[in-house]
Amino acid sequence: MTVAMRAGPSQDEIRRQNLGALLRYVHVRGATTRAELTTALGLNRSTIGALTADLAGAGLVSEGTPKETGRAGRPSLVVRPESARVYAYAYSIEVDRLRAARVGLGGEVLDRRELERPRNLVAGAAAPLLADAVREMHRSVPPDSICVGAGVAVCGMVRREDGLVRLSPTTGWVDEPIGAALAAELGVDVPITVGNVADVAAFAEHARGVAAGCDNVIYLYGDVGVGAGIIAGGRRLTGHGGYSGEVGHMVVVRDGMRCDCGRRGCWETEIGEHGLLRAAGRSDARGREALLAVFDAADRGDARAQTAVRQAGDWLGFGVANLVNIFNPEMVIFGGTMRDLYLAAAAQVRSRLNSNGLPACLEHVRLRTPKLGDDAALIGAAELAFERLLADPLDVG
Amino acid sequence: MSATPLLELRGIDKSFGPVQVLRDVAFAAYPGEVTALVGDNGAGKSTLVKCISGIHPTDAGEFHFDGRPVSINSPRDAAALGIEVVYQDLALCDNLDIVQNMFLGREKRSGIVLDEPTMEQMAAETLAGLSVRTVKSLRQHVSSLSGGQRQTVAIAKAVLWNSKLVILDEPTAALGVAQTAQVLELVRRLADNGLAVVLISHNMNDVFAVSDRIAALYLGQMVAQVKTSDITHSQVVELITAGRSGNLGLADTGSNGTGAAPADTTPGAVR
Repeated sequence: MTVAMRAGPSQDEIRRQNLGALLRYVHVRGATTRAELTTALGLNRSTIGALTADLAGAGLVSEGTPKETGRAGRPSLVVRPESARVYAYAYSIEVDRLRAARVGLGGEVLDRRELERPRNLVAGAAAPLLADAVREMHRSVPPDSICVGAGVAVCGMVRREDGLVRLSPTTGWVDEPIGAALAAELGVDVPITVGNVADVAAFAEHARGVAAGCDNVIYLYGDVGVGAGIIAGGRRLTGHGGYSGEVGHMVVVRDGMRCDCGRRGCWETEIGEHGLLRAAGRSDARGREALLAVFDAADRGDARAQTAVRQAGDWLGFGVANLVNIFNPEMVIFGGTMRDLYLAAAAQVRSRLNSNGLPACLEHVRLRTPKLGDDAALIGAAELAFERLLADPLDVG
Repeated sequence: MSATPLLELRGIDKSFGPVQVLRDVAFAAYPGEVTALVGDNGAGKSTLVKCISGIHPTDAGEFHFDGRPVSINSPRDAAALGIEVVYQDLALCDNLDIVQNMFLGREKRSGIVLDEPTMEQMAAETLAGLSVRTVKSLRQHVSSLSGGQRQTVAIAKAVLWNSKLVILDEPTAALGVAQTAQVLELVRRLADNGLAVVLISHNMNDVFAVSDRIAALYLGQMVAQVKTSDITHSQVVELITAGRSGNLGLADTGSNGTGAAPADTTPGAVR
């Protein structure tokens, strides 16, 4: 950021911004005609032509004639992101699995690998596994491709300045430098950006998912723990150090159940995996499959499972009502295991939300499940890497 | 969301011989919203839907579509307005593939032969527009599909014809948890794409998961039509089973067929 005293931005800066704006537009919306770009970006036709030529020269976009439009006149050229050639690597480190993917410009997952993750695996041990997956994918990458970087989604608290995973109670990580470990493993100079899984999933759904066009969004992500990615006024809310959104550790019960974080009565002890399985009398089971088995049993009439699901749904509504009152979002998205819980206990969630939420805050809030599904973490992690490209398109590559 | 309803019914009466099934029913469905139609067995839900879709003529009452008064005398009239119904039995042919089912009876032609490429492309675009990723091939027979996939195909078929209002009769009945979840997300997506959706369901979870408004029928009368954000589970159950809940629903004294206008509640009145 420049803070020099100056009359206005320089020609170079304006140009960089325009290039970024154009590339972002086709990155988010896919193939777009020059005519539409002209209107959408408010630039004149020759500028759009010049910008497109620059981006095409750098191999980031291509231009082509559209399919028949059925209208008279010369059809406007279509600008497409070079999805197959320009890509980022995305990693998602979850409680029970590790995922790696190659995501093309435009948000398309080109290739992916998935590994099981033992629950105690530390960063130093996870990095080689992910690096192997990437090396394997790298073999099938076309030779003239451009890698713009890599993004990592981690279920844990991530320090913004260097991507250090400070605390991830559900994986047992404390101060794990996953970004550095991955960089060392891969031995390449691609920049690696690390983010919290709920934050990046919110980012992805906001850019190209169910929340596109919404500026105030809460994405609740659940696995063993529960976290939130919060978008307020169109911007990601990260907090001072990058740790905001740890809504799973809102204390909702005084002297309640013990949480993985060491405190008692956190929200996630009631709605997370452990709480739900315990209430259903299946304390020794773990993992998403076990959770789905509880929902299934409840659906088939198992009274204990039904009680557990209803109770968890009620608690989910309780916390969502608090969040809705604080942030006044237009959309709350339920991702990860929260999707399953919401759909299985929506009557309880909605009823509790309606009773506890303030009428003015409830007025326009929409409850949704993710459009991108489980891919949101990968696509969001890739978005972290693409952000650098979009900030200065001609500098990366 | 939208202030003007796409479909609005007023004062609908319907009798089968001496039995009055619908009594002065008012009902509205809004574009971009899911309106859940709930009620006990025999409350008149199916009859109301059959009146909307032109299968049963009504004895009295007005239909407004897009703000214009219309009359629906046959299923053809309903289809011409853009009203499609997906019934519980789905009406799919097991021995035909997905594309053939979606275009059944309304096939595209080029000259004297069927225009298979266009039909296949339209079917693919419709499924993609609904973000359906569970169907592997458009040319697989419907008999090889799971219950949830069949429901998906039936819904996609209803959407294919630029329909504006889609009525779904118990779309999640007989589905497992995972498939129910997928169908609910699909129902929500229809409305988010701008359609007016009417969802008939006995399952309160389904109703609360996707609906924007809830309309409750009780013994042939519309006792309440309220926003889903203004009501709780137990209130809906009371409306279904007793016809009233607090200040919602039927008035204390027995109404004589005049008091069945939808209760317009203000937020805060419901607690």
